[in-house]
Amino acid sequence: MKEFLFGVTVMPRREVLDTQGRAVEETLQREGEPVVSCRVGRFIELKVKAENDASALTMANKISESLLANTLIETFEVRRG
Amino acid sequence: MGQDQRDNKELQEKLKHYRLNESEHRRIAGLLGREPQGVEWALFSAMWSEHCSYKSSRVHLKGLFNKSERVLQSFGENAGVVDLGDGERVAFKIESHNHPSFIEPYQGATTGVGGILRDIFTMGARPIAVADYLCFGRPQAERMEKIVDGVVRGIGGYGNPVGVPTITGQTEFDPSYDKNVLVNAMAVGLFRKGEKVFLSKAKGVGNLVVYAGAKTGRDGVHGASMASESFGKDSEKKRPTIQIGDPFFEKLLIEACLEVMEQDLVVAIQDMGAAGLTSSSFEMASKGGVGFNLHLDRVPLRESTLQPEDILLSESQERMLMVVEPAKLSNVEALFKRWGLEAVAIGEVTAKKTMKLFWKGDLLTEIDPELLTEHAPMYERPFEPWTPSNRVASVADIAGESAADIRASLRTALSSPQGCSREFIFRQYDGHVGASTAADCHESVGVIRLKDSGRGLGIVLGCRPQMMRLDAREGGLDAVAFPALELAAKGFEPLAVTDCLNFGNPERVPVMSSFVAALSGLNEICESLVAPIISGNVSFYNETEGRGITPTPSTGVVGLRPTVTSLPKSDFVHEGENVFLLRLPQLWTSGAMGEVTGPESTGPRAFGTLNGKEIAALVTSLRKLTEGVGPHSPATENTISATRVVGKFGLGYALARMAISKNIGVRLSRSATQAARPDLAKMSFAESLFCEVSYEVLISSTESLEALRNRFASHGGDPRSLHLIGTTHGHRFVIESGSSSDTDPEGTLDVNLLELKMDYDSGWSSAFKNLSFERQY
Amino acid sequence: MAKAKVGVVRFPGTNCDRDVFEAVGLSGAEPIWLWHEDLFDSAQFSALILPGGFSYGDYLRSGALAARAVAMKSVREAAVRGTPILGICNGFQILCEARLLPGALVRNTGRRFIDSWVDLKKVGSRTVFGGSLPSGSGIRIPIAHADGRFVIDDSGLNELRDRDQIWLEYQANPNGSIAAIAGVTNENGNVAGLMPHPERAFHEWMGGTDGRRLLEIWS
Repeated sequence: MKEFLFGVTVMPRREVLDTQGRAVEETLQREGEPVVSCRVGRFIELKVKAENDASALTMANKISESLLANTLIETFEVRRG
Repeated sequence: MGQDQRDNKELQEKLKHYRLNESEHRRIAGLLGREPQGVEWALFSAMWSEHCSYKSSRVHLKGLFNKSERVLQSFGENAGVVDLGDGERVAFKIESHNHPSFIEPYQGATTGVGGILRDIFTMGARPIAVADYLCFGRPQAERMEKIVDGVVRGIGGYGNPVGVPTITGQTEFDPSYDKNVLVNAMAVGLFRKGEKVFLSKAKGVGNLVVYAGAKTGRDGVHGASMASESFGKDSEKKRPTIQIGDPFFEKLLIEACLEVMEQDLVVAIQDMGAAGLTSSSFEMASKGGVGFNLHLDRVPLRESTLQPEDILLSESQERMLMVVEPAKLSNVEALFKRWGLEAVAIGEVTAKKTMKLFWKGDLLTEIDPELLTEHAPMYERPFEPWTPSNRVASVADIAGESAADIRASLRTALSSPQGCSREFIFRQYDGHVGASTAADCHESVGVIRLKDSGRGLGIVLGCRPQMMRLDAREGGLDAVAFPALELAAKGFEPLAVTDCLNFGNPERVPVMSSFVAALSGLNEICESLVAPIISGNVSFYNETEGRGITPTPSTGVVGLRPTVTSLPKSDFVHEGENVFLLRLPQLWTSGAMGEVTGPESTGPRAFGTLNGKEIAALVTSLRKLTEGVGPHSPATENTISATRVVGKFGLGYALARMAISKNIGVRLSRSATQAARPDLAKMSFAESLFCEVSYEVLISSTESLEALRNRFASHGGDPRSLHLIGTTHGHRFVIESGSSSDTDPEGTLDVNLLELKMDYDSGWSSAFKNLSFERQY
Repeated sequence: MAKAKVGVVRFPGTNCDRDVFEAVGLSGAEPIWLWHEDLFDSAQFSALILPGGFSYGDYLRSGALAARAVAMKSVREAAVRGTPILGICNGFQILCEARLLPGALVRNTGRRFIDSWVDLKKVGSRTVFGGSLPSGSGIRIPIAHADGRFVIDDSGLNELRDRDQIWLEYQANPNGSIAAIAGVTNENGNVAGLMPHPERAFHEWMGGTDGRRLLEIWS
């Protein structure tokens, strides 16, 4: 078994209201920063044990879908670390 | 396939999409004099949904007792309003958010709290308290732990930031909620002296229709009609975009709205709740007998791709619709801007009773608002008249005979999900923001001190599902009787009631029968108490894969007390006091203990019938007895320090709960207790401790039996209904035989309170392995 | 004699503003509203209070967005001038984010919001708030927060100890704060912050009156 590192980015779905992004965006704009829009998600570093790269990726995707992201309101993207 | 068949297929698909049936389609065509077109489908779909139109319940709700001298507003407005005198008034309402909370527990609960708060402040009242009534399935049911966690975090996650204290609640567990939990939230708002009550009736031709608050997104499109359907296996797939609540935005909206109302800048105002812009605009116009020209393209959007139908049906949160005089628009805009919010004129009020909806200059439809608000179908669903159910001659067999049995039963009750501590829930709610909370979730009555008059406003939730499983009429009556007694036991006069009628599929005769029976029970007690039902909602189709929930008419009862000092606690406060039992035995049930220990097939059993008039008389005399005396009373004599209405798991459990909280023990006399309860003589003493008798109230006081009886009689109570059954003493729960000649240890007990407290405290974390607080470090 | 003027700063999402305003009045001073978008003349005030709540919804980090508000320029000025400044709960978080107080406040160890009465011990005596209480006094007032765990690095903690900047400690640590810290002051002692809510312990009917002793500095 080898270890594989992944970076998982979880973002609010486009059509879903991003309450946090809205508050940060408006604060920055009020301060006169040239900010057009802002969305707030989270980044998760994930190290998994697996036989090979392909099964590690499958594993990371499964974990992301089942726990790291709530797919009702969020999307996620898994990248190799 | 011929053209007719194709047309028919297309129509069927349309009806399915818009969740209308064929007779409703014919009714629409008849009212319009033509086929519905374009967005009209969406309008009828939303407004004629069960959720918005109450089409299955209206015929029964009409008969509800809803008036008293104190009632200023009842059904038909966003919330009911009650006059407290001295210029103070309160608005309150309870509402369900069951289906969304099952799908996405956190967001479902937050938007539930947000929605009910808007119903309150849209009338001009500042929200002062939230209460929540929750019914969950068995802890081991699929997803249940996550649902409980999400719902509780959601209620706190909205109520805490928005700055409204959650001061009371009720949490039930039963397998019937395994796949359909209930999340009912109640909010209470206060109008201080001189503050005006605002209504939703649109007025003034030429006035502007102003949209305020959050931008419109795709949230919850078709939500109202979906809330009016049973859950099926595929409901996962057909859900709309989840509505997201933003308590921060709501807080700003509260302040901005209360300010525009205080400055008298609005003519009428309504929040956009179920069916969003459609229901708010059509109801406002319909109530005012006027029309609106609405320009949907002027509605602020989160996504530019939204179409008129989406805009009409969106249930995006934190939005209000107002009618504003043109001259005041700039003031309204400026005031909202100061709070970081948008206010945009999207239309105007017209004289002709017609809604004209425009999209980029094109007229989409022209329709009489009353067709949608007043001409919805009204169904008289079949039901059967009430007959007492589950009646037996005796409710024994719920516990054994010996002291060991009493001890084991106490521990079973205290550690069961139904009987264990709710501290995990309370701790996550800010119960004290507002600096007016005189009694929080730890007490049986939540109390807010009214700042101007110093009086106490008491709030209690009601409905014991186990009583509903027994008998819908008794359960409905009890849903108000029990909380009314809890108020009276703390010296509060019950003033008015709000209800949230959670039932299964009304097209099923047993469901409709229980609905009608529960309403008759509710009505009887409310009339007897002169505590009218002034607001509420109906939630039908709480059914998953054909299985309905326990019919659950949850209630919120609001009461008033002259002061918040000398408020009796719900737990023993002092050692060396007398413990009295006040009795009005009408209904005996095997109760929660029967459900926990009995074989599943046995079900609830009872004998007797509740009587509203007698309960109301007891409420009055009990209230007067407890009104002005208590731990902080300047009068050191005649002090009642603690009271508790005996409920689930009976007298034994109630005594244990009173004792363990502050570790103040009780010595109960077996012979005195038996003498006080001759009606239970056929049971073993152990059984009598866990059988539930409606109604009994425990009172801890320094007074003698004679003094308390005299005082009770002077308030119109029957002195013989009061009995001295023990004293508070030490740190143990002791049952003494009560007679020196009786050496038989049967039915006696001596148990350390810490042992019972451990059971009570650990019950929650045994049921929910992942839900506990890390407390010490 | 004119009453001392105490500025109460309101941010979007502050929700204990009215509670604190009333408590200040009961404590014998004249409370005055200050708005987050406006600068104010700090010389006019005997003290400033940043009340609790959820400024900007606690988004990003609790207090982070409010710490950048216009009014904070004036608060900073007052801090330099030596004006007593108190941050309660979210106000404490804002003062930390503004670097007017040391350390930071992060999510409770239990990861949940906690509403509870807590027992505190007064440790340091640098601030005028609660100045009449001798060191070691017990104080019982409520907490209500999700982000109340005080964190600071080891050298920072040593500095706090050396300079007597630890103001209040929990008797039983509810949130995992380092060294059970419930309240701290700045180096000068004029800026102080605490997580518990003194304004919620002002009357017997609230459950206790110890909060008065922390706010009554003007009588």
